[in-house]
Amino acid sequence: MKNFKYLILILSIITVFSCDDYLEPEPISTASTENFYRNDDEILGGIFNIYDGLQGVNDTRSSSNHSTQIEFYVTEMRSDNTRSKNNEGEAGQFDTFAVQSTNGLVADHYRSFYNVIFRANTVLENLENASDANRDKFEAEAKFLRAYVYFNLVRLYGDIPLLDRTITPDEVEISYTRVPTAEVYDLIVSDLTTAVEVLDNSNGRNRASKAAAQALLAKVYLTLEEYLPAQQLLEEVMQSGYSLAPNFNDVFYNESNPEVIFAIGYKEGILLDSQNFSAEFLNGVGRTVGVNYVTDNMLAFMNTNAGDRLETSLRADPAQPTETQVAKFFPNGDSGGADGRTFSFDARLAGNDWIVLRYADVLLMHVEAIMAGADETSNAEALNSFQLVRDRAGFTDPVSSVDKEDLLAERRAELAFENHRLYDLMRFGKANEILGDFAIDIGANFSSNDLLLPIPQLEISLSNGLMQQNPGY
Amino acid sequence: MKILKGLHIIFFLFLSALTLAQDVTITGKVTGESDGLPIPGVNILIQGTTKGTVTNFDGNYSIEAKKGQVLLFSYTGFKIQKVTVGDETEINVTLENDLEQLNEIVVIGYGTQKKKNLTGSVSKVKNENLDEIPVARADEALVGKVSGVNIQNTQGEAGTAPTIQIRGVGSISGDTGPAIVIDGQVVDSGFLTNLDMNEVESFEVLKDASSAAIYGSRGANGVILITTKTGESGRTRFSYDNFIGFKEGLQNDLLSVTVDEWARREMAATGMLSEKTQYKQLIGVDTPWQERVLNGGMIQSHSFSASGGNDDTKFRTSLNYLHDEGVLLTDDFKKYNFRVRFDTKLNRKFRIWADLAPSYSETRRFDGSTHDVLRQPAWLPLYHDENTIQFVDRNLYPDVQVGDYAVQRHFDNYDLFGDGSSLVDISTTNNTNPGAKILERDRNDYRFKIRGNVRAEYKFTRDFKFKARFAGDYQSRRQDRWTGVEASRLGTAGSSLEISNENRFHFQNDNVFTYDKRIGKHDINVVAGLSLETYSTKFESAQGTGYTSDVFQTLTAAPVIANAFSEAYESRIFSMFGRVNYNFDDKYLASVSFRRDGFSAFGVNNKFGTFPAASVGWVLSEEKFLNESKLVNFLKLRVSYGSTGNFSIVTTGSRNRQLESYPFLSLLGPTSAVFGDIVTPAFNPLNISDPNLQWEGSVEFNPAVDFGLLNDKISGSLDFYRRVSDQMILDLPVSSTTGFSSVITNRGEVKNQGFELELRTKNVNKPKIRWQTTFIASRNENELLDFGESNGQISNVDTKRPAEWINLEGNPIASFYGFVVDEDIPAEFINNPWERLGQTNREVIVKDLNGDGLIDDDDKTILGDPYPDLIWSITNDFKIYNFDVSFMFQGSHGAEVRNIGDQYVFRHFGGSSTVTNPLDLVDAGIIANDTFIKEKIFTNSIVQNASYVALRTVSLGYSIPDKVISDFFITKARVYLSGQNLMYLTADGYTGLNPEAIRRTSPTTFGYQRLGSPINQTLTLGVNIEF
Repeated sequence: MKNFKYLILILSIITVFSCDDYLEPEPISTASTENFYRNDDEILGGIFNIYDGLQGVNDTRSSSNHSTQIEFYVTEMRSDNTRSKNNEGEAGQFDTFAVQSTNGLVADHYRSFYNVIFRANTVLENLENASDANRDKFEAEAKFLRAYVYFNLVRLYGDIPLLDRTITPDEVEISYTRVPTAEVYDLIVSDLTTAVEVLDNSNGRNRASKAAAQALLAKVYLTLEEYLPAQQLLEEVMQSGYSLAPNFNDVFYNESNPEVIFAIGYKEGILLDSQNFSAEFLNGVGRTVGVNYVTDNMLAFMNTNAGDRLETSLRADPAQPTETQVAKFFPNGDSGGADGRTFSFDARLAGNDWIVLRYADVLLMHVEAIMAGADETSNAEALNSFQLVRDRAGFTDPVSSVDKEDLLAERRAELAFENHRLYDLMRFGKANEILGDFAIDIGANFSSNDLLLPIPQLEISLSNGLMQQNPGY
Repeated sequence: MKILKGLHIIFFLFLSALTLAQDVTITGKVTGESDGLPIPGVNILIQGTTKGTVTNFDGNYSIEAKKGQVLLFSYTGFKIQKVTVGDETEINVTLENDLEQLNEIVVIGYGTQKKKNLTGSVSKVKNENLDEIPVARADEALVGKVSGVNIQNTQGEAGTAPTIQIRGVGSISGDTGPAIVIDGQVVDSGFLTNLDMNEVESFEVLKDASSAAIYGSRGANGVILITTKTGESGRTRFSYDNFIGFKEGLQNDLLSVTVDEWARREMAATGMLSEKTQYKQLIGVDTPWQERVLNGGMIQSHSFSASGGNDDTKFRTSLNYLHDEGVLLTDDFKKYNFRVRFDTKLNRKFRIWADLAPSYSETRRFDGSTHDVLRQPAWLPLYHDENTIQFVDRNLYPDVQVGDYAVQRHFDNYDLFGDGSSLVDISTTNNTNPGAKILERDRNDYRFKIRGNVRAEYKFTRDFKFKARFAGDYQSRRQDRWTGVEASRLGTAGSSLEISNENRFHFQNDNVFTYDKRIGKHDINVVAGLSLETYSTKFESAQGTGYTSDVFQTLTAAPVIANAFSEAYESRIFSMFGRVNYNFDDKYLASVSFRRDGFSAFGVNNKFGTFPAASVGWVLSEEKFLNESKLVNFLKLRVSYGSTGNFSIVTTGSRNRQLESYPFLSLLGPTSAVFGDIVTPAFNPLNISDPNLQWEGSVEFNPAVDFGLLNDKISGSLDFYRRVSDQMILDLPVSSTTGFSSVITNRGEVKNQGFELELRTKNVNKPKIRWQTTFIASRNENELLDFGESNGQISNVDTKRPAEWINLEGNPIASFYGFVVDEDIPAEFINNPWERLGQTNREVIVKDLNGDGLIDDDDKTILGDPYPDLIWSITNDFKIYNFDVSFMFQGSHGAEVRNIGDQYVFRHFGGSSTVTNPLDLVDAGIIANDTFIKEKIFTNSIVQNASYVALRTVSLGYSIPDKVISDFFITKARVYLSGQNLMYLTADGYTGLNPEAIRRTSPTTFGYQRLGSPINQTLTLGVNIEF
């Protein structure tokens, strides 16, 4: 039967099609991670990816990493500095110390920051293919970034899962075991020590540097009340060529200022590399409206203590003059015209960097390190550092001694709205007292449990009893 | 173009072939044997020629034939009658009922079967009048036509797809809609948008696992098989079908309050009018926002077709144009369809079919939201006129002119008494005019789709044949979305243009052997085949922002290109399948099928899944003890058991096509970081892969009975089913410490069970008067049996209004979760109680369910679920002389919907209409403590009964008598009037626009509406002409 010839032909075509490869098409627009990180370029691409993680994605997708772009919610808005305008939704919970364990912004923050740690660990696990010349630098850079993230996590959540490698979802033990803060700090100190030893200051303010590692490690030591090493590190930073920008406004609106030691870089106009917080701090400009508004308490404080810094720090909302806005991060430096919300470009794609460490912070930490837990100091070097910051603000009267309250106030005024306040209050041991009084003023309930965020409820639920919630949630 | 030319030539060849040969004119009447009634539409063909005719409405025909030629009379349900032409010129014929054919033939996967021999659960809907239902999409016309199928107009915008669920929701993260197969070609559901209803012959819905198992991995949510019309041999026949009419959106009086009505309520409550109200009356505007946004429109459709051929070669070609203006402001849908189809027998053994159906559609979207418009106060005009301009606050808005959009804030700071004693603010938002938000946007979808299909069949022997199919479909979808400078309060900062292009090609090759043999009383049908499919998609998009004017709406003119994106991905399927249908003496029936599918997205070890099924049936009415029964003329028991699958992988949140296409691989995607203002590329791991990812499987058990009583005066079927789906493909949440929030993996189990009843009665069956009734009802219960680590997962869809859903084992998927309302808060404890539209306030007092004196998470409970318990329809068809009347009532009961629209329209947020001081209520002894007061969004206050009863369709037709039309060479002419949703009743307590409206979220947070689009009420006039 000649027909069977056709049949055989058809069947053989099918057989050709159905070989194993047919069901395993190669990805076209993505790559498989197998056989990746084989050389310096690819590993460097992995390191840049850690910065990308810290930068966060300028969108509202629930699965995206938003890390730095939403950090103000869990830090500044939980202090006496800022609040949401309408006390609405999940954002409103931070205003009144009424954070729920189901709060989506907390979950987002926790998830995003662990995603950055994952990115750092991915690099650290693939260093064997790096060239000998670069391997240590790569390691130091990844460790600096990992330490920065852990330092924020440990201060916000207390005991946390500690990972120095990538894990799979099956590794439930390590995923849900809350390691004591001391152990977390051990890794942070060790990572930063490596970074201090290896890094230099040649890569600009948007990448890890020796000075940044020193300043950050100093802050870690201050938190651990180890003042002497902190002082040494800070003094080394002070020898590294940084200085206060003569004009306070330049710190925020001139990215070539000499003051910023480490900042997370953003680029305006590009969805993937811009940020939205600049717009969100305004009235009806961002996707979320009216968050990180200045509290009455802060407004009164700044009116007295900000000096020349006042205008750069905050302003009355032009559209609602009874409300006060943060003024340090106007989108690309544009204040939004007469009504405070008219822009000639898409303000939701702002390019302002997020400043993590700057010289004024170093100077004030220097005072703190010398004070070494005492109530006050009149050490000349401490006074000198303190005076430098005060002078720029226009308070040129010489100071003869600094006490804890002065220092905390100076930090509050100088570093207002830069996500330092909550950490400062906790480090100075003043959080319960000051936030307690503040809560009474605004008619909210505060307890010392509110200093730590809840572990996201989703993690607790997924852990099947392995993970315990922070007290009070 | 060459192809088109070729088509033309062939087309004219057919036309000319029909004009040959004429001898004797033979006339006559064809009647049915049982009732003696004339039968219209009987095919009459001269054997061995292409020549033929059809009987008219009165059963009369006329044909020219030579003496000695044989006339073949054929009509579905009757035996073919042969009459040799003799000397007589009048041949009257009585057709005998064909009991074999009396049962319809139904299309099942890769074959057909007699309905009475079916052992699975298959429903057939013939396109008798479906194409007269004035809807833009084929699937919308199926509402209420098939038991067990819930078609819900969840979107309501012109041209948008309804949500189709067959026997409940069997998947959590995957696709929950059925597979769509057009003439054996598997297509994605998007093709339903571009299907021309006039070209549809019938729909067959494969509901149970045993009938769907031949589609294996696609069968878990059921399969809708669409059979399109083919050419018919005989004289070339032309037809023109058209309908044209008006649509309106059903309004809800609750959602419109005039300024005066507002004042009346305020006066009644407080005995005075506030300054604000006085000011609003002074402005003198009363904008009916509901009418403005639900502006109605026209719908029209024109179809032209030609079909004909001879015994060997048949063709059909058609054109269709449909334009639906939609009921919303700006929405608009236009569709152009073309189709050509050929079948030809090259010789006794070899046949070829070819089918080509290109289609183009343009959709203008309603790029806004109804809730945003309907929450606007009536005092606000759309544009400023000479009157309203005088109220504008000139200090803040010096440039506003007559003709500009009116914005609430323009009206603030008004010196009401002219003496500066009182500057009145009446704005409640700084948003721009709601009309501007819609009119200043322009969002369009342009879709080009083409479906092509070549089949070749070779008969090795009479019983054994081979059929190969090469089918391709291609879709190009371009979307653009312009947000004009005036579209938002942000002006230039908010203006943008997004353009995207998606090109998707799907290739399918099937190779099927069929063996069909009757040996004595044994009837056996065997099907075996292989199938290959590839999907390949390319997508790119770009977004420009910061436009300063509306003059150039192009990317070229964009000051900033904020984003550019492109990607490509593909997936492949390889399948083997087989089925044996057996029946003994039409009494004992059995069917066994098997399919093995390989899918490229699954893990190396789990690429293939196997889907077996079996079913048996017993036709009791063929047995001796029922053979003579006067009561029961047909009775069949059948039971089926089988397994089907679902391979659809859907990532939560925004779709990530890379992860959906290659979830078994660890993927690395491009990203970037910024150093010193320089954008630097970086590589980002995208997922945790699951190398063991595999099919989601369903197992279904389906016992049923089919019956016909009193000579089919009453007939119908009753099915019970229980379907358990497990190994669901989930985007399963994992610990954030892994670096990710979820992993695509298999987990969980869902059960759907219920029953379906179809009942048909012939109430009157007289020569000139007929009345039939069809009743359809189905009930489904959904239960989550196992949800792995996610059991008890609570989620929300809006962090600002975080009303919760729970997915808890033992309950339906996506159950609404929250507090139970105890009572309203008395007005005296509320700020500004009369300020709000519906006199409702933000909070309520909730119930202390566990009685511990405190309201906390433990007092939350399940408040309902979004799935109807019972859906039904009753259709009555009358035929009285030349008139036909048909109407269908359809209803749905037991579903709830989370109507978050209340939040907006009744303004349950912000500072107003809140409790003045909770402690006052405590002091008054109304509540024990302040935890008893909760916002309505967290309670069952906005979980509303979504039941409805609708007069879905009603139509009145008139067939113009033969005598009148025959002079115009017209063989059939009918005019009809048709209405949709002329009556639509919603449940008490439902405050929205459309209980069927549901916003797209995810299967685990289903049933959320923000007012949405209204029910469309349509009235049309239509004509069918055949000549």
